[in-house]
Amino acid sequence: MLPVRYVMKRIATYLITLVAAFTVVFLISHLAPGDPIGAILTQMSLRGQQIPDGEKLVEAYRKMFGLEGNLFQQYVAYLSQVLRGNFGLSLAFFPTPVTQLITRALPWTIGLLTVTVIVSWILGNLIGALIGWFSESKINAIIAAISLVLSRIPYYVLAIVLILVFAVYIPILPSSGAMSMGAIPEFSLSFILNLLRHAALPALSIILASLGGWVIGMRSLMINIQGEDYILFAEAKGLKRSTIMMRYAARNALLPQVTGLALSLGYIVSGALLTEAVFAYPGLGNLYITALGLNDYNLIQGMTLLIIFTVLTANLIIDLLYPLLDPRIRYGEEK
Amino acid sequence: MRRSERLLATIRVLGSNRKFVIGFVLLLIVVIAGLLPPVLGIHFPEFGSAPSFRKPSAQFPLGTDGLGRDLLVVLLYSIQTSLYIGFLAGGFGTVLGLTVGLISGYRGGAVDDVLRSLIDIFLVIPLWPILILISASVKSLTIPLMAGLLAAFSWQGSARTIRAQALSLKEREFVSIAQLSGLRTLEIVFAEILPNMIPFVAAGFVMSVTGAILAEVSLEVIGLAPPKATSVGLMLYWAQQYSATVKGWWWWAIPPILVLILIFTSLYLIMTGFDEISNPRLRKL
Repeated sequence: MLPVRYVMKRIATYLITLVAAFTVVFLISHLAPGDPIGAILTQMSLRGQQIPDGEKLVEAYRKMFGLEGNLFQQYVAYLSQVLRGNFGLSLAFFPTPVTQLITRALPWTIGLLTVTVIVSWILGNLIGALIGWFSESKINAIIAAISLVLSRIPYYVLAIVLILVFAVYIPILPSSGAMSMGAIPEFSLSFILNLLRHAALPALSIILASLGGWVIGMRSLMINIQGEDYILFAEAKGLKRSTIMMRYAARNALLPQVTGLALSLGYIVSGALLTEAVFAYPGLGNLYITALGLNDYNLIQGMTLLIIFTVLTANLIIDLLYPLLDPRIRYGEEK
Repeated sequence: MRRSERLLATIRVLGSNRKFVIGFVLLLIVVIAGLLPPVLGIHFPEFGSAPSFRKPSAQFPLGTDGLGRDLLVVLLYSIQTSLYIGFLAGGFGTVLGLTVGLISGYRGGAVDDVLRSLIDIFLVIPLWPILILISASVKSLTIPLMAGLLAAFSWQGSARTIRAQALSLKEREFVSIAQLSGLRTLEIVFAEILPNMIPFVAAGFVMSVTGAILAEVSLEVIGLAPPKATSVGLMLYWAQQYSATVKGWWWWAIPPILVLILIFTSLYLIMTGFDEISNPRLRKL
């Protein structure tokens, strides 16, 4: 059973945070000097290119984001559009809706991100629990040092190094794209292998870049927990050391790591998007590069809103699952 | 203790922490490397001042780029820009984080509720997309503008630490005495509480600088950089643009990467050093 008050409070915070973040995006686009649409139209007409439906584009944009009226009226119009999932029309691929472009890229990002985040979190905590529990061992000290350096290396740096190693010097994996040129999507073993081979390096970058942090965090939690009374008690009872490690120490140490996952999700997603950009993996990260190159302001804004929404929602889900792991939150309710 | 004695004591404590010393020396090496070319009177290389696309040689230790510039000199100048932006943004960020954290922790109540939610929002939202949105909104990106932009997104970590400290310090007796003797809130916060959390402020500063440089490079890597200067992240962008990595021209990508790893490792060691000094329990980990 989920504690009702905790859930209500958490959902209220979620809604407030969401609206606050969307407000920040609104302010950024409205207070920034210059009107992006006008700027692009001028730029294009200077180059002698005519936008076929230029007038219509401006009109559509004004209607969609309610550029009429004072700032507050604009804000209300904007919120009502955005909360309905309407991000306007793309400028570079006019009149394709931004949502349609995002939907095409989204499955790649979601697939890559979910798998890598889960794998690195589980793997990192397992390794961290082991080397934290047996922290006297020399090998474990070396693993800890490697993890520490790994956790300090940004995602894009790791991506570039992996390309050099596994695509250039030992050319066994492709360095860009999500499938071979001209590959026809079909449900066959060879096509699936093709997909996996292309996802290997981006996935490895994201996993390695986030792994170190989980290892280090879990390790120090396990070391700290070793002196706790309930561990001594379990030892005095004569329980097996492996039982104490998994069911007494690791289980408790895991709780802050769950909170840690919720807190660092934004950072991980940012890093993963950048990794996609480095590998030209056709997800949102790469779409950002396209949008920047073509000055597609609407597309950038739409993606930013969607990513904020996704990260905050994932955060909410983790927080709502938390009472299932930590009974103290449930018991706190009854007092 | 007099001021000079206190300074000496501080230096002694810092000097006895191995992690801090190693981190500090490493950072010093990077800073000196960045200051080297202007000190030696080497100007930023003009386009075509060297043959283009050369491999590393005795004359050009890191080769040359596509525009005919000595990559070693470009790298040294880039270090300067990146550190400058990082420290400027980190400085702004610390002041901001300090102010928010102190007020939030000391005042409590509704003010704290609002400020704490603000801190939480900034901790949770993904920064890279937002920074891209802002960079795409402004017409031209200058170095101070970029530093300000990064500062606006690198204060939340130190704000959280400082807030927690302020919360625990305000229950101490010396704060009650200050309150009873009729000092104003601002005086208590900045004259009584602040001096007691210098190690946390220092750690918060390093945290802000790290966050700022990390965010800075993540923008430069995709080409969002002030147009007039080169920076370490921008060098990685060029390496990508010229497909240098795929062609195996390691000298385009590996040196900036090593510089970045050096910067982040040294900053991390310095921060851990500060943490260990203010919290002796951590020293055995």
